[in-house]
Amino acid sequence: MSAVTSIGTASTLPARFADLEPWVADWARPTRQERYDMRLSKKYGELEEFYDAIAPRAEEAIEYLNGRDLDDLADDDARLLQLLYSMILVSYAVNVFMQPRIPDSGAAFFNTTAEPAV
Amino acid sequence: MTELQQRLATGKGKFTPLYEELDTGPVSYEDSISPEFFEAEREAVFRRSWLYVGRSERLPRPGTFFTRELNGLASIVVSRRKDGVVNAFHNVCAHRGNKVVWQEHPQEESKGSCREFACKYHGWRYGLDGRVTHVTNEEEFFGLDKDALRMPPVHCEEFAGFIFVNLADDPVPLRTYLGDRLLELEAYPFDKMTQHYGFSAPIRGNWKLAVDSVCEWYHPPYVHARFIDKDIAKAEKMVPPPDSYHYDLFTPHMLTSVPGPPPLPPREPGTAGAAARDQKWVYRLFRAGLFGPDDVPDIGPLPEFLNKGKIKSWGNDQFWLFPNLSVQIWARGFYITYTYWPEAVDKHTYDIDLYFVPPKNAQERLAQELIVDSTIEFAMQDVNTIEATQQGLSTRANRQFHLSDQELLIRKFHKTVRDTVAAHQARDAKES
Ligand code: FES
Ligand SMILES: [Fe+2]
Repeated sequence: MSAVTSIGTASTLPARFADLEPWVADWARPTRQERYDMRLSKKYGELEEFYDAIAPRAEEAIEYLNGRDLDDLADDDARLLQLLYSMILVSYAVNVFMQPRIPDSGAAFFNTTAEPAV
Repeated sequence: MTELQQRLATGKGKFTPLYEELDTGPVSYEDSISPEFFEAEREAVFRRSWLYVGRSERLPRPGTFFTRELNGLASIVVSRRKDGVVNAFHNVCAHRGNKVVWQEHPQEESKGSCREFACKYHGWRYGLDGRVTHVTNEEEFFGLDKDALRMPPVHCEEFAGFIFVNLADDPVPLRTYLGDRLLELEAYPFDKMTQHYGFSAPIRGNWKLAVDSVCEWYHPPYVHARFIDKDIAKAEKMVPPPDSYHYDLFTPHMLTSVPGPPPLPPREPGTAGAAARDQKWVYRLFRAGLFGPDDVPDIGPLPEFLNKGKIKSWGNDQFWLFPNLSVQIWARGFYITYTYWPEAVDKHTYDIDLYFVPPKNAQERLAQELIVDSTIEFAMQDVNTIEATQQGLSTRANRQFHLSDQELLIRKFHKTVRDTVAAHQARDAKES
């Protein structure tokens, strides 16, 4: 599953979430490590923008995805789910720390050794 | 006391004086900064204790295997034999000592599935039990006793799906080592929780300091203040009172039980409320928090070995399996293991693994994602504190430190390590 497929005007998300298309290229990433790296690479203001764009659509997106089979997700559904994973990761930066990085966390990092395929 | 604190308070007195083996005096942290002690600890503790190396779900079929690099101790292969039994052996060829099982990078751990292991150097082959099955050009050797050739065995036993190894020559059986209280864990449905997230962090601090940091709830209003309340004075009031916890020491292992918030009631779709820059709203939206999902999976009745202290609003039980494993069983139907692998007196690897019942839908999947992310955000805050403590201790500017009542597990844990080292050294002295 490629994360970088938002070329031209075609939506790579389920049709009713097409307005979230601008966020796909950066934030619809299949691994937590990529999502975390993206969080750290952004300015705080950019994280706020992403959060403010996704949060109002999140409940509807969860409901929509609840009607799908997790083990057999279409690519556009999987991208929507990944946007929600990114929203969770970004929420700590926006709501708890008010900055991309955890304060006083220095060079600390956790490698991912296992995570679900979807 | 705040309302929350009043609700959870039990009126119990101090815990430490209840344990005869514990005093209440100042402590030394020499055991975390002395290179000599580190070497002695490796010999007495790590070379002689049962060490957890992985869940048995990692070996679903005969022929599946994984390797472990136990830094400074051993390099081992753990595999499931044809008869279904899990066994372990040193990852060392009987021919000229080459590491047999590895892929791409000899230093890295690997896993897979096979019928036989083949040494990449001269093609000797080994069965799933580590015994030599094939010697290349065997006739060129001199009196080889092929049946006796093998990758040296390592004691390996399984308990409740946890695979342990022991590097000692003649260890006590695993179940004896664990003892009655820990054997009760077998009643827990670990096997239902196969949705696995794993993380690993290098930490420049002694492994025991990392254990210390999850053995007390004195630090959260400071280290994790922002999660509780931006105002530290308020954060201090949000934490449960010290008498609401429960402790049990069954040397060398130990347990602590912790209170936690109850799950939220079910919610109709479309009622999460307007989006807000507020983490509490995020928790409500995804129906989860640090203490678990609000929609708790059905894993059957709670086994009786949990929450023996009858905490009113129970959050989790943390079982410390000496020396370096903690199994944390949460009230809301998931568990986490924490493992600490020392590399030097001031360096270790910290592994956190979280296990959930596989999610039925996106809502459950997202709730698990939030629990995982919260756990790691909290852990990240702890890591630098551990490194800062190592830095402070290693100056030896202070040599005596002070543990409060709610730090009794720390007092006990360091004492158990020191006692184990002393007992081993006394045995050694007697023998020589
Ligand atoms: S070292 Fe393994 S076959 Fe030679
Ligand atoms: Fe902490």
